[in-house]
Amino acid sequence: MQTAYFPGCSLKTIDRAYDVSTRVIAQDLGMTLVDVEDYSCCGAGELKGEGLKSHFLPARNLAHLINQGETEVMVSCNVCYHELSRTAYAVKQGGVHLDQIQSMLKAADEPQILEQPTVRNTLEYLVNVIGLDEIAKRVRVPLTGLRVAPYYGCLYQRPAKMLSSVQIAGEDTEHPHFMHDLMAALGATVVEHRAETTCCGGKNLLSDEKISGRLTGRILSTAKSSGADVLALMCPKCAGGLDALQFRAIGTVGESAQLPVMYYTQLIGIAFGHRPEELHVGDMESDAMGLIRQFLSEPAIR
Amino acid sequence: MAKGSGIIERSLLQDDQIMEEDNLVMDGIDISGRWNTMLKTRVHSERDLDSWDDVRASAIGESIDNCIQCGMCTAGCTVAHEVPGFNPRQFIYWVRVGRKDDLIKNADIIWRCVGCYICTNHCPKEVNTAEVIESIGQWLRKQVPEKMDQAYLANHEAYRHQLETYGRLSLPRLQAEFLSKLGRQKELFGPDLRQAAIRMLKDGRALKTLLIGRPRHWNRSRSVLMESGQT
Ligand code: SF4
Ligand code: SF4
Repeated sequence: MQTAYFPGCSLKTIDRAYDVSTRVIAQDLGMTLVDVEDYSCCGAGELKGEGLKSHFLPARNLAHLINQGETEVMVSCNVCYHELSRTAYAVKQGGVHLDQIQSMLKAADEPQILEQPTVRNTLEYLVNVIGLDEIAKRVRVPLTGLRVAPYYGCLYQRPAKMLSSVQIAGEDTEHPHFMHDLMAALGATVVEHRAETTCCGGKNLLSDEKISGRLTGRILSTAKSSGADVLALMCPKCAGGLDALQFRAIGTVGESAQLPVMYYTQLIGIAFGHRPEELHVGDMESDAMGLIRQFLSEPAIR
Repeated sequence: MAKGSGIIERSLLQDDQIMEEDNLVMDGIDISGRWNTMLKTRVHSERDLDSWDDVRASAIGESIDNCIQCGMCTAGCTVAHEVPGFNPRQFIYWVRVGRKDDLIKNADIIWRCVGCYICTNHCPKEVNTAEVIESIGQWLRKQVPEKMDQAYLANHEAYRHQLETYGRLSLPRLQAEFLSKLGRQKELFGPDLRQAAIRMLKDGRALKTLLIGRPRHWNRSRSVLMESGQT
């Protein structure tokens, strides 16, 4: 099965762990990923203040997708997912905004968006198109005994009306559960912690250190005190605050915020029998590698 | 006791909106204590509707007029629980009644919205509240840049410059530009970031970052992005 795929800037560089693990499990599941050609950044949510122009970068990518003969694209990064969905929604609304988007594309010598694009999140795609049964069938190393706290963040389910996870797949906006279901299918113990959709403050990660330290600190310590061994993520921006800058969270709320953090796709990869090195578990700044090594070497905790 | 401490949702009020005396006798009646907490009467004598015109004319702010001031946005807002005075419902109110002075007074608060879209999701009137708040922040950035937080401005400019120049985002390059705009380049070589940089050099991620490149014939896209005009 051929699936168009948009990795985006951070997955192509420092968050390769998310990209590689997405590709590895996609291959196991019989999917052939075809990258959107000549991609540009999605705008990372930072150009919204420019108004209509904030649609230019996502539209450029969607235009390339359509030009490649595809109308549906799968996206792992939640920020790219949000930006592309937001523009796909503007295309669907049509009217003067769409005209202006098309004329910006024309001015830049880029193809027009000639069909309605559909943007799908990898998590939602795995659950709804591939199916939990298919995924469960591939499990070689059940995650039995591993206590996983799913963390969705914001942009996977908000704003609901722009997103396929909600509109097509019927995900719950207040209490999303596809990652819960997926982790359960891998044999993990799913930890409910009530910070699943709390914001990590990622937008102001650089500019508002205090608030971002408080928000990330709270998420990590809530998950940890609920008994989690690991927080499962789906967004590289969240990874910035919760993993790479976890020291800031610890500095704000203390040791209770020290927790291994991984992409949920890496956990799927481990369950499918891949080595942690292959999935770049060592790229995580928190001690995800230590946790996974211990998990794999101590059948007792399974 | 702090001023106005008996008020429910006290954090949503500014200090100077509250009148409270330690001892107060009015018309011979002693009303010291909780009963003398009062809010200043607000008189709208000076309206400056620039902000309203600009926000509703922008592609991200045009839904502002749907607002019925119900307060659902503030009730669920991430930052309202963190920053005293952060109140998206009130920001919208100020814009619509032309309270430019209040907006400017709170310029250092309004930008702290984290774009979590809880407000947009909860709004019963299809206001895209998160983007309306962004639009108000941008209006302030243009009106009173000197009142805005330096880190906010540096963040905004660094992102814009990186995206316009390269069309792709290299996070280390972005962070370097952000810090140097603030004169904090030293932190790049401080213990936290240096360690991460060395790790990335060793494990190959630094190389990937250097090789990120630009999209094809980026110059044309770049001029579209840099053109002023539409908002
Ligand atoms: S939730 Fe919507 S209608 Fe209610 S105050 Fe906020 S923006 Fe206005
Ligand atoms: S997007 Fe901004 S205003 Fe809206 S709920 Fe989040 S922090 Fe509050």
